[in-house]
Amino acid sequence: MRIVIGEDDALLREGLALLLRAESLDVVATAGDAEELLEAVETHRPDVALVDVRMPPTHTDEGIRAAVEARRRYPKLAILVLSAHVEQAFATELLAGGSTGLGYLLKERVGRVEQFLEALHRVAGGGTAIDPDVVTQLLARTRSDPRLERLSPRERDVLALMAEGLGNSAIAERLVVTDGAVHKHIRSIFAKLDLPPDDENDRRVTAVLRYLEDVRRKG
Amino acid sequence: MATQETARSGLRQAFGRSASRGLLGLEQLIGGFGTAIAALALLMIVVATAVASLVGVGLPAVPAVAGAVRALANRERHRLARYGVDLPELDPPPHGIRGALADLSLRRELGWTAVHATMGAVLGLLGALLPLFALRDLTFFLWWWAGPAGSSASSIGVGTVNSTLGALWVSLLGLGWIAVVVGVVPNMARLQSWPARRLLVPDPSVDLSMRVAELTATRAAALDAHAAELRRIERSLHDGSQNRLVAVTVLLGAARRSLVRDPAQTDEILERAQRAAESALAELRAVARSILPPVLADRGLAGALTGLASASAVPCDARIEVAGRCAASVEATAYFVVAEALTNVAKHSGARQAELTAALREGRLYLQVTDDGRGGADATAGSGLDGIRRRVEAYDGSLRLESPAGGPTILAVELPCGS
Repeated sequence: MRIVIGEDDALLREGLALLLRAESLDVVATAGDAEELLEAVETHRPDVALVDVRMPPTHTDEGIRAAVEARRRYPKLAILVLSAHVEQAFATELLAGGSTGLGYLLKERVGRVEQFLEALHRVAGGGTAIDPDVVTQLLARTRSDPRLERLSPRERDVLALMAEGLGNSAIAERLVVTDGAVHKHIRSIFAKLDLPPDDENDRRVTAVLRYLEDVRRKG
Repeated sequence: MATQETARSGLRQAFGRSASRGLLGLEQLIGGFGTAIAALALLMIVVATAVASLVGVGLPAVPAVAGAVRALANRERHRLARYGVDLPELDPPPHGIRGALADLSLRRELGWTAVHATMGAVLGLLGALLPLFALRDLTFFLWWWAGPAGSSASSIGVGTVNSTLGALWVSLLGLGWIAVVVGVVPNMARLQSWPARRLLVPDPSVDLSMRVAELTATRAAALDAHAAELRRIERSLHDGSQNRLVAVTVLLGAARRSLVRDPAQTDEILERAQRAAESALAELRAVARSILPPVLADRGLAGALTGLASASAVPCDARIEVAGRCAASVEATAYFVVAEALTNVAKHSGARQAELTAALREGRLYLQVTDDGRGGADATAGSGLDGIRRRVEAYDGSLRLESPAGGPTILAVELPCGS
């Protein structure tokens, strides 16, 4: 897996590179701002770009905009955005064009190396990785939705992990249940939310996220 | 004996006080006579303009006349300030005829012009004549014989004097004039300034709206400065300390992974993690210090400023007379003002010597940093001084910078103490 890192903080940039290289991943270039990042993507054509949201000059959402732009130029490029804090607007902006090969994680998740690598591989493989905090925020404001009220606690857990982008077997592993049980829960969730059942993972994530986003907006 | 002495000196003091009150009253009356004559002239012009306007030809002169009324009123306000009558001076009336006519304060000033031109002039004239009468009558017995026979009389023209004895009676009248000056003149002066005290105060509604506008502006500036300060703190926390701590967790994660795979490398990664943690601590300390310098809490403003002066790269004399304490935010502002000023002196001025004075008087904090450098400093947008200025103004203070090319540079800041 070939990776480009866009992170303006030198110490953190080197830390990330060190960690990934130790895991035998190929960090082909590192960049300190959005412009350098786009150049590096152009030059190296990596599989994944790891991007910090806040970069010079204004330290607001340069990373997000660079990611959206890079994606526009290279639709096959997978992008994992790292953020110092959860910002719903960033996630929405990033996922506006679908969730295939996209991720949005809090920076400190990188320290949980195993889960981080899992998320990185998922995104590189065309999947999705949404930070649990983003999902929690989405779910926290959905109490007003009568259809979500119908979900059992277990189904809510499954829904949250689905929204994070986990596949059936990964959800089963997290919740320590069988794949079959997860499958059953998911069918029940889709029925209760009036969503068309879909076994394709990325479309499923998009549907769930969009549903939650809609509910949040109305609430 | 002792009580007699005290009584006598008390009497002397009382007499001295009355005399000085009388003299001050005379000065006020006579000064008022001057503005009253001006008011009389202006009143004629106003009447002439009004009459001319009725037939249509006077209108173009209205703005100029309005401006003259305002100017004379301001002159009177300024004059009366000497005698403890506090009347804020007003800006020139709005341009144009309509604006001038709608100016409520101007209408009141016109009323004052009329009253002052008449009553003020009479009182002022009396004030000018009284000392002359007193002098004339007091010295009458010395020169009465020089006048034409049968025509010499007292200043008020009563009685004809034919003998030194009669002249002495007139001189007694002179003493009476002095008694009048001492006893009545202060009241006359108060009467003369009464129309001004009633009519030259800003129209109540104008005063209030001026105050509201002023408060709104300073409050908005305070909120701006507050928001900018919060943004600065948020940014230094997110992009500084938080990134350091994220690096710590990333490196700790890497270290745990390498424990199994490559224990030799683990120590190196842990070493990096530790350094990242240390620099996170340093950043946090810097952020905390930038919010409220701990030295202020430890040593007070006086101690903190002395510390700044002695740490200055350019030798700096400090004269600090700050006995009390101010609001914490004001002290922090004062501290940053001085720190920034001394940094500028060291960085840009090329000065060999600097001086810091700080004084706390009547609830206001006065700071001044002077250097003998090359001058040419500016506090316009974008400079470090501009940030300082906004911070100072947010606390209702003021900043003055004098820095001619060639020096010296003087930065003076005044802050309300807020406690």
